[in-house]
Amino acid sequence: MTATTLTERYIAATVKSLRPESQADVRAELQASIDDAVEARVEQGEAREQAERAVLTELGDPARLAAGYAERPLHLIGPRFYLVWWRLLRLLLIVVPLCVFGAVALGHAIAQAPVGKVMADSLVAAGGAAIHICFWTTLVFVVLERTGSTTKIDTWSLDQLPEIGDDGAGRNELIASLVFLGVAVGALFWDRFRGFVIVDGEGMPILAPDLWPWWIGGLLLLIVAEAVFAVMIYRRRRWTIAAAVVNTVLAVVFLAWAMVLLVQGELVNPAFLSHIVSAGGEGFAAGDAEAAGEGGIFRILAVLLGFGIAAGVVWDIVDGWLKATRRGGGSRRNRLVA
Amino acid sequence: MDEMLDTHLQELRRGTVVLACLHLLRTPGYGYGLLEQLGARGFATDANTLYPLLRRLEKQGYLTSEWNTDEARPRKFYRTSDAGIRLADTLTDEWRSLTTAISALTTEEN
Repeated sequence: MTATTLTERYIAATVKSLRPESQADVRAELQASIDDAVEARVEQGEAREQAERAVLTELGDPARLAAGYAERPLHLIGPRFYLVWWRLLRLLLIVVPLCVFGAVALGHAIAQAPVGKVMADSLVAAGGAAIHICFWTTLVFVVLERTGSTTKIDTWSLDQLPEIGDDGAGRNELIASLVFLGVAVGALFWDRFRGFVIVDGEGMPILAPDLWPWWIGGLLLLIVAEAVFAVMIYRRRRWTIAAAVVNTVLAVVFLAWAMVLLVQGELVNPAFLSHIVSAGGEGFAAGDAEAAGEGGIFRILAVLLGFGIAAGVVWDIVDGWLKATRRGGGSRRNRLVA
Repeated sequence: MDEMLDTHLQELRRGTVVLACLHLLRTPGYGYGLLEQLGARGFATDANTLYPLLRRLEKQGYLTSEWNTDEARPRKFYRTSDAGIRLADTLTDEWRSLTTAISALTTEEN
């Protein structure tokens, strides 16, 4: 009797996931086919029980057989949707966790949370966002795959061809860098000696005058180094790993310069701040009092400025490494072709 | 190495089982009997491939089916439909032109 139950169990396992209307038919046909196969083996002199085991083993996993009957795919996401899924997932994973991290960190920093809490909460939020993105995006595509959707979201056209990566070592990059650095130097001197803000006919520097000469001197040195670096990149005509390292060092030094002054409250001219307070009148004072819990309006502005500078610096570093590694890939290909 | 060879052979054979079934089922046949027939004629097929395939072809209208309850063991008999015969002819033509193309390739080599 055990032999019969094996077949019964096998058939039950196969048909249970099929549509109700086809279950009886598949059950009867499969029963006949298995019986035929067992019979054939028994006629060859095999013991019935052994023959049955052999036949069922040969038929394999009932879930696989059922997938064949129901024409269900045996993969999560097939070739039709895989690339669309992967491109979308990559894009979302780059953009969303970064935004979440930045937003949570900014909120905590304004609320004067301790540094450890800022980092921990931002990381946890970004990680959670990443996991959610992976899960829900994949789920949508699994459903598309299972419902046999014929949505034409995967038609590819020539317009989607990416440009061959600009290696960032051309004349335009050099001119842009030098112009930017020149403007920065000009702004520093203009701010000190002529003033962007004119109070009672006299220029009032925005940057603290105490920064001259040493801090500003350091900044000017850094600017010169950046300019030399930009020219070097242009003359070598390519970004290398070494160039990315130098770029990173320069960016970090600038970040340190700005952050130290910002945190110590020595970046902006105190006279300029008190001028804003007096010019802002009562409305400003009321707003400042309301923001007292976060350390006042100027602290919030300082946090925002710090985040802005940090984001710019991080992007500069990442951009340098992207250019260096892309360039590396390009030259490898060239060697292969040559 | 053998695995790669197997994959290539499988790739080449894929589709020939459909053609063989459509030809053989011009005279009605049932699952296990057809499996034996295919094996004997050099189209070795796994049972778990053939049984779902027969249902798929039936659903697509290339086969018709009928339960035969005359014998002690009731069996589902399949028969190639008119559409199935037309499909078999088309596939056979394609196979012949492929054979010609391949033999042209190999004769050029020699």
